[in-house]
Amino acid sequence: MLVELENIIKIYNQGQVNEVMALDRVNLTVAKGAMVCLKGPSGSGKSTLLSIIGCIYPPTSGRAVIAGTQLARLPDRFLTIHRRQTIGFIFQHFNILPKLSVLENIMLPLMPLGISPGKRRAMAEPLLERFGIDHRRNFPAGEISGGELQRVAIARALINAPPIIIADEPTAHLDSELSKEFLRSMRQLKGEGKTIIIASHDPLVTDDGGVDMIYAVRDGRVSQDVS
Amino acid sequence: MFLNPWSLALCLLSAISVFLIGVACKTAVRVIRHWDPAADNQGQIALESEIWLSSTLVQYGLGFQIVSLLLYVLAADHFSQMLSGAMCATGSLLANEYGLPLLMVKIAGMFLYGLWIVLHQLDISSEEYPLVRLKYIFLLLVSPLVLVDTALLVLYLGGLKPDIITSCCAVIFDEGQGGMVQNLLGGQDDQGSLFLYYGWMAFLFGAGIAAWWRQKISLYIVYGLAMAAFFVLALNTLIAVLSSYIYAMPFHNCPFCMLKREYGYIGFLIYLPLFMTVFSGVTPMLIQPCQAKAVLAGTVAKLQRKLIVVSVAALAVYAVLSSYHYIVYTVMGGEG
Amino acid sequence: MREFSEKHLNILDYALSSLWRRKGKNLSVFLVFTFVIFLLASFQFLTRSLLDAAQATLRQTPEITIQYMVAGRQESIPVSYAAKIKDVFGVRKVTARVWGYKFNEVTGSNITVMALAHFPRLDQEVLAEGRFGAKGEKGWAVIGQGVLDDLGLGSRRSFSFFRPDLTLKPFTVSGVFGPESNILTYDLVITGIDDGRDLFGMEATLATDLLVEVVNPLEIATVARKISKALPGTRVVTRPQILKTYEAVFSWRSGFAAICLLSALAAFIILAWDKASGMSPEERREISILKILGWQTPDVLMIRFWESFALALVAFGCGTILAYVHIGYFQALLFRSVMMGWSVLRPGLSFVPVVSFGDLFLLFSLAVLPYLAATVIPAWRCASVATDSALRG
Repeated sequence: MLVELENIIKIYNQGQVNEVMALDRVNLTVAKGAMVCLKGPSGSGKSTLLSIIGCIYPPTSGRAVIAGTQLARLPDRFLTIHRRQTIGFIFQHFNILPKLSVLENIMLPLMPLGISPGKRRAMAEPLLERFGIDHRRNFPAGEISGGELQRVAIARALINAPPIIIADEPTAHLDSELSKEFLRSMRQLKGEGKTIIIASHDPLVTDDGGVDMIYAVRDGRVSQDVS
Repeated sequence: MFLNPWSLALCLLSAISVFLIGVACKTAVRVIRHWDPAADNQGQIALESEIWLSSTLVQYGLGFQIVSLLLYVLAADHFSQMLSGAMCATGSLLANEYGLPLLMVKIAGMFLYGLWIVLHQLDISSEEYPLVRLKYIFLLLVSPLVLVDTALLVLYLGGLKPDIITSCCAVIFDEGQGGMVQNLLGGQDDQGSLFLYYGWMAFLFGAGIAAWWRQKISLYIVYGLAMAAFFVLALNTLIAVLSSYIYAMPFHNCPFCMLKREYGYIGFLIYLPLFMTVFSGVTPMLIQPCQAKAVLAGTVAKLQRKLIVVSVAALAVYAVLSSYHYIVYTVMGGEG
Repeated sequence: MREFSEKHLNILDYALSSLWRRKGKNLSVFLVFTFVIFLLASFQFLTRSLLDAAQATLRQTPEITIQYMVAGRQESIPVSYAAKIKDVFGVRKVTARVWGYKFNEVTGSNITVMALAHFPRLDQEVLAEGRFGAKGEKGWAVIGQGVLDDLGLGSRRSFSFFRPDLTLKPFTVSGVFGPESNILTYDLVITGIDDGRDLFGMEATLATDLLVEVVNPLEIATVARKISKALPGTRVVTRPQILKTYEAVFSWRSGFAAICLLSALAAFIILAWDKASGMSPEERREISILKILGWQTPDVLMIRFWESFALALVAFGCGTILAYVHIGYFQALLFRSVMMGWSVLRPGLSFVPVVSFGDLFLLFSLAVLPYLAATVIPAWRCASVATDSALRG
């Protein structure tokens, strides 16, 4: 299993007046090479669950093992190191920096790693070609189309060759054509052995043939969705 | 003598250092009291974030200390033009009883902040942050130095009296002690000093290589202690013997004039490797106790070896540069 | 080591591009900073320039000057004292000097008249025209540029001063000092010692002071000490003391100005802190994205450090260059009156800005370092943005 969550509890503002239990004894596993969908309304704890799987912060208690590393009480520094080796993120609004060029956006995760500019470009070139955005490499990212943005976001998520891809509501602001194109890319990555976790309540996603398992997240609890 | 740009700059830097280290100490106190790695609350998260602030502040503090040391020496040189009997920075530093202690406090500060940064790097190399409490206790113990620095600075500057012609007196306040040249150290037997100097250096090379090769605690300690003693010996020999070859003047034994343009700023090229070799030579000995933490054993061992390499290399550079003028004089019979 | 330097180069690269992307926000800080550095640097260069000019010409002054003091005030010194001084070992020569002031009622200025038996240091090259008087020649005078204008001589080459008994003493202008020595000679009239005594009504056995030349310049202080022991009622002033006094006065004035400018610096630091603390939602989002993508808090701190350092360095460069131009080409237009004193006859001095490593380092310490210190805590606050805030959209 690439993702193992056992009795995960996450409490914000512990011990204070505004204490909130965001996750309540969550159990979840994701096998290597699987594509999993997390479904749930806003405030259900979905973002918190993504943050834990994404090694952004550790759980308050419980056992969380992501790609073989136990997260419990890892300091932020080591979480970050593990995250950049393990997780590729695709955000809800893609979160591309509009004033940087396409190439610079894709290379962003490599910059703090002490990789020389030449080597960074060598790592980005194949991704530019693969996703057909080579002709846009020097364009400011704010000037490209929605579909191209999507491909830049995926390329950036893959630059570090992470085993896990996390996508947070990737199709929320896309039309159906682009949504289908996105899902095609995800199935392709799954075929290459990547583990895909998508948080979405879009039927296009939940009904996609590539999705192996759907988890419903509600009030901080997770259950398998059999509907 | 506060009313001049040099004094103002020194006071400003001192005040800023007090502020930076003060804020870092605030974090130190909070960490020592509340640090709980098992906790997952806002307080612990905030503390983990504050560690970055405090380490940045101490790094800034180190940078400021180095700048302030250089500024102090340059200022002393500037003051010598206003002080009776002072020919250069040495004269200014000897103008009252606070000048030299201030210099020593600044040098000590540099080494201690540097050591803290090494401890910090070791600490963050492990997920458990095993040295967190130790390093902040160390910071709290070292931080009063910045207040001592400020106090000595104020006393030194306050005690300087520029030599302005007075309306009545014919007295000349010449503390030159029989000449216009003031020296920090008296005359020494050149040959004997140099023999000891180069002999000690040879011993250090041998001890350093042995320490790197065998990686034994005893060798790190021997090397560290020998290096600490060498620091004093090197400064003594540099001032009392070698500097006069740099200035081509037998009675000019100033440690600071070699930093000036007239001498090609050679002082920087001499002092920089000297400080580097001493710091990286003493640190392996000082961080040896950190090996007791199992999670750090490997990291500490690696760092010790790296530091020994840096120390020996810097020692070689220092040996060549500090001896250059002496060799030119002895072998080639002087300049030109 | 290589990875360490590549990492820092990458972060520097990002920082510079970030600085450029937000040039609007950084422009105000940059302009104010450049202006503050310009002010500080101008004062520093001006002080150094004045000091260098003064020192170059003060090297012409006598090594030791002996003045006779009665009740704490200077009175004429008996010329016979020269014999006692000559007995002191190390003295090469003793010269009597007569000098005083003549007040010009028309312009309200004081002209300094100096009379010597010999002129040990001044040579012909100091003169723009003419010559010094020959030995035994009477009634000649060499005057400074300011005296030429003040007396309204134009092309005339003779003038008169009143003696104490209100009779006129005529002088013929035998030479005029060149502008290079203005700082010392602008308001000066030089004449022979007999003419000087005649003008001031001084007896032949007296002089205003005695000038002493020593054999070994390194022994000035020792000789001066011996002279003061031999002649207890006198004040003995050495050239090194004069140089140090000038240094102290200029330093004091420069320090006084620096204090005034420190308030400008303090205001700028507050501005810098304020600007650094303010973070737009876009900046916050950018930091969060970087952190999710694997940038650590110290990496983000490093971005902010390089941004601040790059901005400060460029402002420092611009400020010092502008100051150099201000002093060298515009002749310290803004600050002349602060440094030059308040006499009616101000010498027409031409400033040559002197830039040394020490001065630049001093300016760097005064301006750049406080700015870096002011931005460190706001930078940390910025770097501590919650990693997952970008996830929340």
